[in-house]
Amino acid sequence: MALPSLTLLGQSLLSGIFIGALYGLLGLGLSLSWGMLRQINLAHFALAFLGAYLTYQLAGAGMDPLATLAVIVPCFFALGALMHWLLARFSVSAFNSLLVTFGLTAIIEALIQWIWTADFRRMESAYGEVKFRVGALYVALPELLTLAMALALSLAVWAWLRHTYTGKAMRAIAEDAPIAAAFGVNVRRLSLLLSGLSAAFAGVAGLALALSYTLAPGQIYAWLGVVFAAVMLGGLGNPLGPLVAGIVIGVSEALTMAFTTPAWAPLVSFSLLIVVLLARPGRI
Amino acid sequence: MRGRALAAFAAAGMALSAVPFFGLPAFYESFLYLVLHWIVLAVSWNILSGYSGYFSFGHGAFFGAGMYTTATLATKAGVPFLWTLPAAGIAAAAFGIALGAVVFRLPRLRGELFALLTLAVTFVLATIVLNTPVDGGPGLYLSAVPLPAIGPSPSSTFYLLGLALALATLWIAREIQRSRLGTGLFAIHDDEDVAEVLGVPTYRYKLAAFGLSCGLAGIAGGIQAMFISYVTVGETFSIAVPLNVVLMSVLGGSRHWFGPAVGAAVVTALLYAFTAGDYAVAGRAAVGLILILVILFLPEGIFGELIGALKRRRVSVTPVIDAADPPAPTAAGPGKAEAQPLLEARGLSKAFRGVQALAEVDLEVRRGEILGLVGPNGSGKSTLINLVSGHFRPDSGRILFEGRDLAAMEAHRIARTGLARTYQIPRPFAHLSVLENVALPAMFGRDALPHAEAGHEARRWLAFTGLGAKATSLPGELNLHQRKFLELARALASRPSLLLLDEVFSGLTHAEIDDAIRLIRAIRAQGATIVFVEHVIRAVMELTDRIVVLSYGRVIAEGDPRAVMREPDVAAAYLGKPHA
Amino acid sequence: MPAANQSVRAVFGALLALALAAHPALAAPSGPPVRIGSTLALTGPLAATGLVHKIVGEIYVEQLNRKNGLLGRPVEWVLKDDQSRPDLARTLYEQLVTVDKVDLIMGPYATANILSAMGVAQRYNKVLIHHTFGTPSLAKYEMQFPAGGLAGDPDNTIPRLVFDALAASAMPPKSVAVVTSKFPSVHFISLGAREAAKKRGLREVAFLEWDFGNRDFGPIAARLKDATPDFVWVGGLGLEGNLLIDAMRKIDYMPPLHFHLFPAPGPLLKAPGGENALAATTFEEHPPFTDNPIAVEFIRLYHERGAKAGLPDTSVENQSAISFSSWQTLEAAVTGAKSIDDKAIAQWLRKNPVDAIVGRLRWDGPFNYIYGTDLYKVKQNQQGKWVVIWPKEFAASGAHLVTP
Repeated sequence: MALPSLTLLGQSLLSGIFIGALYGLLGLGLSLSWGMLRQINLAHFALAFLGAYLTYQLAGAGMDPLATLAVIVPCFFALGALMHWLLARFSVSAFNSLLVTFGLTAIIEALIQWIWTADFRRMESAYGEVKFRVGALYVALPELLTLAMALALSLAVWAWLRHTYTGKAMRAIAEDAPIAAAFGVNVRRLSLLLSGLSAAFAGVAGLALALSYTLAPGQIYAWLGVVFAAVMLGGLGNPLGPLVAGIVIGVSEALTMAFTTPAWAPLVSFSLLIVVLLARPGRI
Repeated sequence: MRGRALAAFAAAGMALSAVPFFGLPAFYESFLYLVLHWIVLAVSWNILSGYSGYFSFGHGAFFGAGMYTTATLATKAGVPFLWTLPAAGIAAAAFGIALGAVVFRLPRLRGELFALLTLAVTFVLATIVLNTPVDGGPGLYLSAVPLPAIGPSPSSTFYLLGLALALATLWIAREIQRSRLGTGLFAIHDDEDVAEVLGVPTYRYKLAAFGLSCGLAGIAGGIQAMFISYVTVGETFSIAVPLNVVLMSVLGGSRHWFGPAVGAAVVTALLYAFTAGDYAVAGRAAVGLILILVILFLPEGIFGELIGALKRRRVSVTPVIDAADPPAPTAAGPGKAEAQPLLEARGLSKAFRGVQALAEVDLEVRRGEILGLVGPNGSGKSTLINLVSGHFRPDSGRILFEGRDLAAMEAHRIARTGLARTYQIPRPFAHLSVLENVALPAMFGRDALPHAEAGHEARRWLAFTGLGAKATSLPGELNLHQRKFLELARALASRPSLLLLDEVFSGLTHAEIDDAIRLIRAIRAQGATIVFVEHVIRAVMELTDRIVVLSYGRVIAEGDPRAVMREPDVAAAYLGKPHA
Repeated sequence: MPAANQSVRAVFGALLALALAAHPALAAPSGPPVRIGSTLALTGPLAATGLVHKIVGEIYVEQLNRKNGLLGRPVEWVLKDDQSRPDLARTLYEQLVTVDKVDLIMGPYATANILSAMGVAQRYNKVLIHHTFGTPSLAKYEMQFPAGGLAGDPDNTIPRLVFDALAASAMPPKSVAVVTSKFPSVHFISLGAREAAKKRGLREVAFLEWDFGNRDFGPIAARLKDATPDFVWVGGLGLEGNLLIDAMRKIDYMPPLHFHLFPAPGPLLKAPGGENALAATTFEEHPPFTDNPIAVEFIRLYHERGAKAGLPDTSVENQSAISFSSWQTLEAAVTGAKSIDDKAIAQWLRKNPVDAIVGRLRWDGPFNYIYGTDLYKVKQNQQGKWVVIWPKEFAASGAHLVTP
């Protein structure tokens, strides 16, 4: 096991950060709706992939991939609000929401396969070709965009929750909804807002997926485990949590792959996770 | 009761074992085997996660451990298949217990963190198996392992094995639900800290449930290894097992031992209903839609709703228990103050992240007295109660109760010494009925009564506190006054010699306060010693023999109520220093 | 007299048509159908390739019924979805055999599912023709017949094929990197590649294995770039090769030559960075493969059906070709043995080769596998098309291995 060169280390570190950013972007909406609304939205992944496929389709029709957000974000926002309305209307508990959203996942997955078949799809875009050189290291534009989006959204939500009235009202709802309502917070409207946002974030994650990855409907489940881990590790409802935790996981795996047989990577990242859980008094 | 159930199980077992002899095509036996297989996985998962609320996302790890144990022993060590099954179960159980022994000691690892930990364990195990000679990549092929001819054909053999395991699992789950272990687990589900303080040995119980759950999953894995005969890491440790057991349990209803079995059968059947090649994709969407509709309209799960409907019908028939039976007197006779203090705190200190809640508190409680503990907010009164009852450990100092040092005891043992407390904001077990709430301390307290007697005891105390008519209601249906009395009934049910009451009177109306005062006098008349923390001065004056005043974690006055309340230090603590 | 000629011609034509219709060889198949049962991964992670096999099967059965069916009887294909799961495959094959009581069974898609089907076949003494079984060492049933052209020792034959092609090129590589997934059917062949490279005196500069669920190929790409191999052997399954190429391009690296073991051929063609990628195949859409009229007809139908099914790439290549060959095998065996009895079919196959569109298939080796030689060729992605470049007899006209 020869010591890797600095370039290799640096490149691997970057790779880990970027994939961690994607974990974070995928996990943001999930963390918010789980932490604040007590709804475990499995369908978040299916939504993200739906967004990715829609981006792929629209880009294929000539639209600039980033511009597709203008279409996707509002549509997904509406979808998310609708989902929440459905769950609230039936007073679905946290665990039951797992089942409902699993059903939704199956439906969305079937829809994707029906429209786009199970074959792999890769979006070709101008962004995919661009890369920057920083010394001996390379940074590809799609990855950079993913990191930028993840950072921007996480920080924006964090600022919103901390500094605006609606944000604080949202945190109040998360802690104790009836009391918040007693204080004049419009729980219903804010919950719909948050659900819509979560789904919209799924759409943005979809753009990131389409920019950097090859798509297949079966891939929906490939991200489930690791993103759930990032969400839980980062603390439910903590907007910076999934990003930080995602990067920790991504970097630990990437560095393992740089030093030794890549097949050991999940062992390192998840053992690290276990150690962190056992040792630290709180969460990240 | 148990005899009848056992007979029913045996009858079902015998009847179902006859299926292979009906000459059905092998497919049905294999299909039924798969249903039974998932029943085992879902019911076993539910033993820990459904009953106690410790949601495990790692059932796949233990299933996989069992699968690989059987595969390895059978192919590499030539162990006969049937002998590998107990090994698979033991390996998985040992793994689970080892994990639980560490994890359950850490109180912050609950809820989603426990789920995360168990998920992480799955990934870790999968990677180790993939990269070591256990598997190393190519997978393990069991085609050469002879299958014992238990049934007339291989598929019927699997069916019978699956049947045996499923019946055993269902029986175990049923027995647990009806036992002290089950009651304890359900209490842990609602409020683990309170359960511990009431005497439930939470650590041991969780470990037992986890071990059983993992062991059963391991055996199921062993049988499955033989069924699919080619064991690979990808198939074994996929997200399918942990995800499906959750879905099945929620779909069927996770509060009852039979619920997950119903869910397992429904989901497996759905899977096969839509396998025709023509509409495969639409079939998957249909399955998703069905799952959604079922859980939206049957939120307690299919079986859960059924049980709920049956219970509601039964409730209207149950006669109301009246207050005829006076409760038995407590161990000590009707009291007068004695020389030897019942409870003694010496040099008690406790700090929370820099805030010194209690500082060198010395206190004694004499047998048979009613001691009032007063002081402004933040003076440490509730902390003192929490320390004595075992919620927290003191940083320094000793707490002697009838001569024994409570600080050295595990929390659940303190309940057995004859000490009970109520909570300022009532913390009943939300999903247990009022009766079950009160029965629990009787089961786990000093007398450790069996189920039936605990129920009788509970009824008496409910009658004593005027809640007899509410025995089968859920705590959520009670108003604040009733919930406070429920707290009292629960504290009394363990027949304590020392009762710690934390702000029983707060939030009550004038009339309700009179009621409560009468009740407390009645309790003392039976020989209990009472310490109560209170702000309602009227109650303090009327009830207490002595009071102790705390301020900023220190005792600043002690003695006769009226005299103490007139002391200038006490007035200053409450109202601030007077300006000249 | 034109009018009289016309009527004579008309009568003559009618008589001819009648005569033809009466001829037994050209009669439509009749009688109780021959029912052939199988499962395919129509949903789940393997669904992309499962669809290919579904289309091929449908084409073949339709063509059979258009001609003479099997032994004069119409053919019915009973197809079920095994959702890419081996435990489902096993139970569904049991259903096909014991409940649907099909006459014959065909293999499903991919190694684990075929193994499940093989177990069922063994229990009920059914012959099993399959196409995509990747671990021949596990096939220990005498009535199973691989129709995919793979040898019994692919860890020998495929690396030998590839390295022979490289050695015959203008600039044979001197250093090699082997990167592979740990997926069972891929891993052992990649290990064979390491052995082969060592035996030929090539220097191994990197050997990396990844866990098949891996998403991040960045570090692996970085390590390859560091090692600067002349040739990279990519033991990837499906998506993985594409992900690796993506990752390499992101750091501005492309190895001079790279070979992919079981790629998704269409996406690899179109992927930027996929130029000059090498892969293995039994069939491509150019001569000499298209010298076979049956192949030509199949290609035409596959283009048509593939487009209708929404496949992004409708060209016939390895998967569709070996699928077609497995049906050809079945038809030849049933016709040759003049029976749908499994034992008779098995006996016939062991004694008779079948000329399928992928080449001559034989089963006269241990457990019906041939060792040391297979029907695979090396192809290269040249300007967006797959072109066979080795062995020379099968290369497209004028094609040879292109090195950048």
